[in-house]
Amino acid sequence: MKKLMSTSLVALVSTGFTAQAESINILVEGGGKMLQEAVAEKFTEETGIEVVFTEVPYQGVFDKLSAEIASGSSNFDIATIDVVWNANFAPHVDDLSGLFTDEVRADLPSALVEDAKVDGKMIGMPAWANAEIVFYRKDLWEDPDNQAAFKAEYGYDLAPPATWEQWRDMARFFTKDDMHGTATVGLFSEEWMAHVLQAGSPGVILDDAGNVILDNDAHVEALEFYRAPLCEDNSSPENALEIGWGEAQNLFYQGQTAMMKFWAHAYRLTPEDSKVAGRVGVAPMLAGSAGIAGIPGPWYNVIPSSAENKDAAKQFIAYAVEHNAMGIEAPLGLAATNSAYESYMGKDGYEHFGPLLETLGADATQGRPIHPDYQELVDEAVMPAFQAALECEDNVEELLADAAEIARDILD
Amino acid sequence: MTDAGNRDIGKVLINAFALLLVLSYALPYVYLLMTSLKPAADVQQIPPSFFPDRISLENFGEVLGSATLPSAFANSLITAVLTTLLSLVLAVPAAYVAAQYRRRITVLFLLFALVTRMVPAVSLGVPLFQLLKTLGLLDTTTGLVLAHTSTAVPLALLLMAAFFEGVPRELEEAARMDGCTRFQAFVKVVLPVMKSGIAITALFSFIASWNEFLYALLLTSENSKTAPIVIAEYNSVYGLAWGPMTAAAVLYSLPVIIVTLALQKQIIGGLTFGAVKG
Repeated sequence: MKKLMSTSLVALVSTGFTAQAESINILVEGGGKMLQEAVAEKFTEETGIEVVFTEVPYQGVFDKLSAEIASGSSNFDIATIDVVWNANFAPHVDDLSGLFTDEVRADLPSALVEDAKVDGKMIGMPAWANAEIVFYRKDLWEDPDNQAAFKAEYGYDLAPPATWEQWRDMARFFTKDDMHGTATVGLFSEEWMAHVLQAGSPGVILDDAGNVILDNDAHVEALEFYRAPLCEDNSSPENALEIGWGEAQNLFYQGQTAMMKFWAHAYRLTPEDSKVAGRVGVAPMLAGSAGIAGIPGPWYNVIPSSAENKDAAKQFIAYAVEHNAMGIEAPLGLAATNSAYESYMGKDGYEHFGPLLETLGADATQGRPIHPDYQELVDEAVMPAFQAALECEDNVEELLADAAEIARDILD
Repeated sequence: MTDAGNRDIGKVLINAFALLLVLSYALPYVYLLMTSLKPAADVQQIPPSFFPDRISLENFGEVLGSATLPSAFANSLITAVLTTLLSLVLAVPAAYVAAQYRRRITVLFLLFALVTRMVPAVSLGVPLFQLLKTLGLLDTTTGLVLAHTSTAVPLALLLMAAFFEGVPRELEEAARMDGCTRFQAFVKVVLPVMKSGIAITALFSFIASWNEFLYALLLTSENSKTAPIVIAEYNSVYGLAWGPMTAAAVLYSLPVIIVTLALQKQIIGGLTFGAVKG
C-alpha cells in the first residue's frame, strides 16, 4: 500500500500539476456523490481544494454533460459517468493515460481498464464498480431436510449454485410452498449478457473488431439457459416481462424466491424488516463453459476537455483511486480497486466482496461494447429479441438472427 | 314516465358518468398518496396492493428530514411565483393591445407566440444554456425565472388575448370619456373585469414553472435546483426509492392543489369567461 501511495504521488508530480484551483466541480448521479463524499473531504483537508458536487438524476448526467459540451465550455471539472456513455463522451474528454501507472493498472480488474480505453485513449478512471453475483437464502440451503431431499433427488450436495446446471436444479427444487426458485428479469438484458460471456463468446453483441456476433452459438446457448427456468422448468414467476431489478429484488426480500442473481451492492441494503434479513448468503456469479463471468457496472471519473481546473481535477482523480476504499463506508459500499475490496475482506457485513471480486476479476468477465450506438443496439435489436424469447414461443436462434440483422443495419 | 322524470334520470346518469371520469383522473394521484403512506417494506410489494396494510409516515419523515428537498421546494416556489408575476406583467398588456387594437402586425404577433409553443423545449436547452452562461446567470434563480418566463409568456399571451376578446372596446372608451388616460382605463376599468382570466392565466403559468424539469436540469446545479430534479434523484441507478419519491411528490403537489382550491371561483369564472349567456 505504501508503495502504491508513493508511486501515485510521484505520478502526481510527474503529470505536472501547476496552479492550484480553490475548488473543483464534479457532476454526479446520486450514488456517485455518496461514494465519493468521504474521499472528497479528505482531499480537501490535505490539499485545500474544495470539492463541490452537483447531484442530478441518472439520465441528467448524460443530458447535462452533453449540454455543457455542446456549449463549448464546462462548469464541471470532473463528471462521473456510467460506462455505457464512455464511447459517447470519449471525443470530448481528456486522455488520462498519465494516471494509469503500472501500480494503478495492476490494482484494477482488467475489465475496468479495458472499458476505460476508447480508441487508444484512457478516457476515465474507474471510481467504483459493481457486478451481479448470486444471492441465496442461507436458511434454506443449510436446512438438513432440504439438504437430504436435494441430494436424494439430484445426486449431489446442496451448496450455493456455481454452474448453469446447478442453478436450474436448485431453482426447480425450491419451487414449492408458494415460493419460486428464482425470478427471470425481463426488463433488462444484462444478466443474459453475463451468461453469453460464461458460454465463451468473445464479446457481447459485438466482437473486438466491432462485428455483430449477436447470433453466435454462445448468445443462443445463453438465451436458452436464461429462459429455461421460465419456459421449461416453471421455477420462475410467469410475468418475466414485468420484472425488472427492483421487482426481482423485492420478490427475494419478500421470501417469494429462493435465490437471485443481483448487483452485489444490494447485500448491505437488505431491509431489516424483510423476511430474509440475516439469512442472505452470496456466491460468485455462475460459471458456464468459459468459467465465471459477469458484466461489470463501473462508473468513471472523466475530465471534460473544456474544464477549467484540469490540474486540480487530475489531482482529485489520482487521489480518489489511491484512497478508493473510503467509498466503502457509504451505504452503497462500492469501490473499484482490488486493494480497496481486499481491505474489507473478512469483515462482518462485507461477505459479498469475495464473490464480487472473483466475478469482476474472472478471465471471461468483460464489459459491454464501448460503442456510441450501444444504447440503440440494445433498444432496437437486443431487447425485442430478448423479450420475445421470454414469451417462450419463438425459436431463440431465429430471434437472434433477426436481431443481428437489425444490429448490422444500425451500424451500417 | 313524465318528461321531468326522464330529465332526472338523465341528470343522474350524467352525474354518474362525470363522477366516473373524475375518479379515473384521480386514480393515479390516489395511488401515489396510498403508496406514500406505506411502510418501506410494503411499497414494492408483489403483487402490489392499492391500500396500505398499515399507515406509516416514515416516507414523509425521510423526505422532510432530507438536506436538499426543503431548499429545493423553496427554490421551486420562488421561481414559480416570480415566473408567474413576470409573465403576467409582460403578457397582460401585450395581449390587451393584440386583442383590442387588431392590426395585421398584432395577428402576426399572436401567431408568432403560438409558433414558439411548437418548438420543442429540448432544442432550446443548449442555446439558453449558452445565453445564461454568457450573462453569468447559470445556477441562479434569476436565470431560471428568465428561462421559464420565455416559455410561460407565449402561453399567458395566448390565454389573455382570448380573454380580452370578450371585453367590449366600449368599456375603455367610456372610461376615457370620464377622463381616464389609456393606461388608467386599462388598469382601473379593464383589468378588474379580467380578474378571472388573470387568475386562470396565473395558475397555468405557475404550474408550467412549478413542474418544469428540463431547463431546471440543464440550467441549475446546487444553488437554484428545484424540487422536480431532487424528486427525480430518488430514481437512482441502484434502485428506485418509491416511498420517499411518492411522499415528496404528494408534498410537492399540495401548493398547486391549495392554490387551485383558493382560486376555484375565479378559475371557473375564467373557464366560462366570454361564454354566451342564454
